[in-house]
Amino acid sequence: MPKHYRPAGKKKEGNAARYSTRSQALKLLQVNTKLFRKLCIYKGIFPREPKKKFKGNHHTYYHLKDVSFLRHDPILEELRAKSTYLKKVTKAKAKKNRELADSLLKRQPEIKLDRLVIERYPHFIDAIRDLDDPLTMVHLFAALPATDRMKIEVKRVHNCRKLSHEWQAYIARTHKLRKVFISVKGIYYQAEVEGQKITWLTPHGLQQVLPDDDVVYDVLLTFLEFYETLLAFVNFKLYHSINVKYPPILDPKLEASAAELYALSRYFDANSRNSDQVEETQLEESELRLAQLQHQLPSNEAGALMQLVKGAADENEEDEGTKECKNFFKNMKFFLSREVPRESLLFVIPAFGGLVSWEGEGAPFNEADQSITHQIVDRPTQGHIYLSREYVQPQWVFDCVNARIILPTEAYLVGRVPPPHLSPFIDNEEEGYVPDYAETIKRLKAAAKNEILPMPGAGVEDLDDPQTLLAEGYISRTEAIEAAERKQKMMTLEKQYHDELKIELQVTQSSAFDTNKQSPGEDMEAREETLPDIQQIANDTANMSKVLMSRKKRGLYEAMKKGQEKKKAHVDLLKERKKKIDEGKKSKKN
Amino acid sequence: MGKKAKSSRKGKKAWRANISTEDIEDFFEKSTKDAHSGGSLSQLPNDSLFYVDSSKDLSVKRKIEKHRQKVLRVDSVLQKNPFIQAVPSSKSKPKKSIKKQKDILKEKDATPDCPKDDSVIASGMLDIWANEGDIKSKKVSKPSVIPAVEVEAPGCSFNPAYESHQESLAQAVAEEMQKVYQNELGPEPVPFTVPGNAIDDEDRYFLEVDNASDDDGNVENISENAHENRSIKTKRVTRVELNKRARVKDLQTKKAKARKVEEVSKQIDCLPDIIQEIAKEDEENKKRHIRRLVAKQERLKVRPPRLGRHKFEPAPTQVLLSEEINGSLRKLKGCSTLAKDRFKSLEKRGIIYPMKGKRK
Repeated sequence: MPKHYRPAGKKKEGNAARYSTRSQALKLLQVNTKLFRKLCIYKGIFPREPKKKFKGNHHTYYHLKDVSFLRHDPILEELRAKSTYLKKVTKAKAKKNRELADSLLKRQPEIKLDRLVIERYPHFIDAIRDLDDPLTMVHLFAALPATDRMKIEVKRVHNCRKLSHEWQAYIARTHKLRKVFISVKGIYYQAEVEGQKITWLTPHGLQQVLPDDDVVYDVLLTFLEFYETLLAFVNFKLYHSINVKYPPILDPKLEASAAELYALSRYFDANSRNSDQVEETQLEESELRLAQLQHQLPSNEAGALMQLVKGAADENEEDEGTKECKNFFKNMKFFLSREVPRESLLFVIPAFGGLVSWEGEGAPFNEADQSITHQIVDRPTQGHIYLSREYVQPQWVFDCVNARIILPTEAYLVGRVPPPHLSPFIDNEEEGYVPDYAETIKRLKAAAKNEILPMPGAGVEDLDDPQTLLAEGYISRTEAIEAAERKQKMMTLEKQYHDELKIELQVTQSSAFDTNKQSPGEDMEAREETLPDIQQIANDTANMSKVLMSRKKRGLYEAMKKGQEKKKAHVDLLKERKKKIDEGKKSKKN
Repeated sequence: MGKKAKSSRKGKKAWRANISTEDIEDFFEKSTKDAHSGGSLSQLPNDSLFYVDSSKDLSVKRKIEKHRQKVLRVDSVLQKNPFIQAVPSSKSKPKKSIKKQKDILKEKDATPDCPKDDSVIASGMLDIWANEGDIKSKKVSKPSVIPAVEVEAPGCSFNPAYESHQESLAQAVAEEMQKVYQNELGPEPVPFTVPGNAIDDEDRYFLEVDNASDDDGNVENISENAHENRSIKTKRVTRVELNKRARVKDLQTKKAKARKVEEVSKQIDCLPDIIQEIAKEDEENKKRHIRRLVAKQERLKVRPPRLGRHKFEPAPTQVLLSEEINGSLRKLKGCSTLAKDRFKSLEKRGIIYPMKGKRK
């Protein structure tokens, strides 16, 4: 008799009743693997790991409930219809009937995922919360080359590009960007929308090679299909929340010169001004007129126009972070050189309230503009230098943004190796280890808080040295302040300890009153006895709280403790290493 | 009977016999048929053959109905009567059903906007969350605790601080070395070819013969042993011996009993020790359980559970080498695309089961 023998009429129980393997699910749904995979992705169904794998470890298991959920969805029927339609195409192709195949492909039935979007995200906030993955995917495909082999169509790449730019324009416009981190992999951004932190990753603007071996592009494209729909709806909602018409009409000239982001920002400006002036009149008509007007506007005027409108823009219901970000690069004008990664800087600088231009067609102002305060360059030497502006490397912008302080530009000048680019996603306090540069930034920040900023009207050239001097002064002062604080803390701790000791003594005295009178020697003994007792009490209280926790919580607590210990050990190791390095350097110098 | 003499085929008689008269016969047949039925119909005009029946002949209808099968009483009783309400097989609670109906109505109200307008509006051009207040959100279970976009360690920055870079580099190196060691320490793969000469057919024959002869010898030995055993077994057991055996057995049981009693008394003596031991064991069990729990949670933080045939293999960390760091964004070396990263992330979060891509 086999181990899991079940009499003929008896129902299945346990894991076998609750789960089904993938092949069972395929049989139940009457679909092939590809279609099933697609369905799962659309509906957000993922494989499970049952406690007991009744068919073995090499099978994939799904909840039976999930499978029946798939079975009752109308999209299943649509997908089936589509696959039969595609069979027609392959048949036409096999018969060498090119025309029919093409025409059939053109008339392909489109599958709408709108219903699935609202089914999976019944509230807007849910969609916002889950936006990390869609954003990353859309940004990735916006940068990929369209290839026939991987079935990445040109249309989709364009759509991704459009969606990503729309999103970036919204974030920049509402000043919701918080952190930027450039890693080897790509650029991480973090924004805060509706109280949710959204992190996404964009690839570098380098040539993209499609890895062939490990990636199944069908799966990625299916995900992308859903994410595109989702992001379109989210963008629509977000745009309407700031009173901008959604499918934005862009200046074709700017679009052609690959400056969609700037085109979008101009569109925003135009739209907000529009809503101020002519709300009663028909919106669409004025919109059209505006689009036409934008064509005629010379690019130089646009910058000034932007500023005008920005002043008049709605400043209600903004939290502190947004306000800070909005005024961060205020009164600064940036110019990007040719070799600088334009896409990310065009996004980051306006998000923090700066004005930005670039070398190329359709730029708002050109290099010769006298009001430019910073030019961003990334070359070993700068030939022609305007004295009225500072030449910095792009890393300066990102570091400033992360530190929320305008850093001294000295370290970032042309041709120098800039200080390390630190990750803003790491909480140094929690980690326990603070890199050197993070400490200097912290000091600078503290200094800036205490002191009034140096006069912005002063000459830029001679501003550098006093700034650093001032900074050093602040540093020494803040150090003193820190030391004082530490001392105070120590004092309070000591005082507390003394108080506690006193209280304990009193308690012991009252309890052992009689013995106290008899001999001082015994009193000493009693005190000695009580001391460990108190320790034990403390231990007991800790244990009590531990005992009171549920088993799961206790496990978690223990895990947490272990993690903390590990972290501490790690920090110690790092410190030791640093010490060694420093010593090594010193010995080298000597 | 004898055979008929074969006549010559060349004669006139033979000719006459072979002439077919079918057409003539057919004609005669047809003409007689026509004569019987009253003239051939093929020559007649259509008007005389067909006409439109404009009269309402009820009789035909009645006839048809009459011919229809009669509905039996048994069946007619079972037929549905619109005036009688059906008795439900199981009673459902009235409140719940109303609620459900309402919910369904609401859902219908909430969802249909999009599919209805689909024909007119392109996807994404409407606010699907316009009336989200009425819809209760279901609790959606997430496949894993791993975030969708994991931010890399600070050492993976394009211009990292020295210490953190060393750390990330060490991690990457450790990953690589682990792979190398696993390759080295694992079992050697089965070789495709074995060194040595091929065995000739003749040699093989001899080898087989040798083996066979060995086998024969073994069989003989075994049979001899069996003979001896049988002879021992047939020895008779005397009464004395039986008695002796019984005595020995008795003694053994007695001894065992005594030992048991002694043991129990000993155990009673050291009862506190036993209790302590049990407590210790319990604690150990508990600790092991916690350890397992923690280990499982830790594992789930870095990798998904086993979801299919293939094991999840994390992508290597992307760190610049020490000589590649130059602090310039422009000179940053291009790494592989994020496509792989995304795919691995999906696998890592357990949204899709790990797949083996096609190999070159």
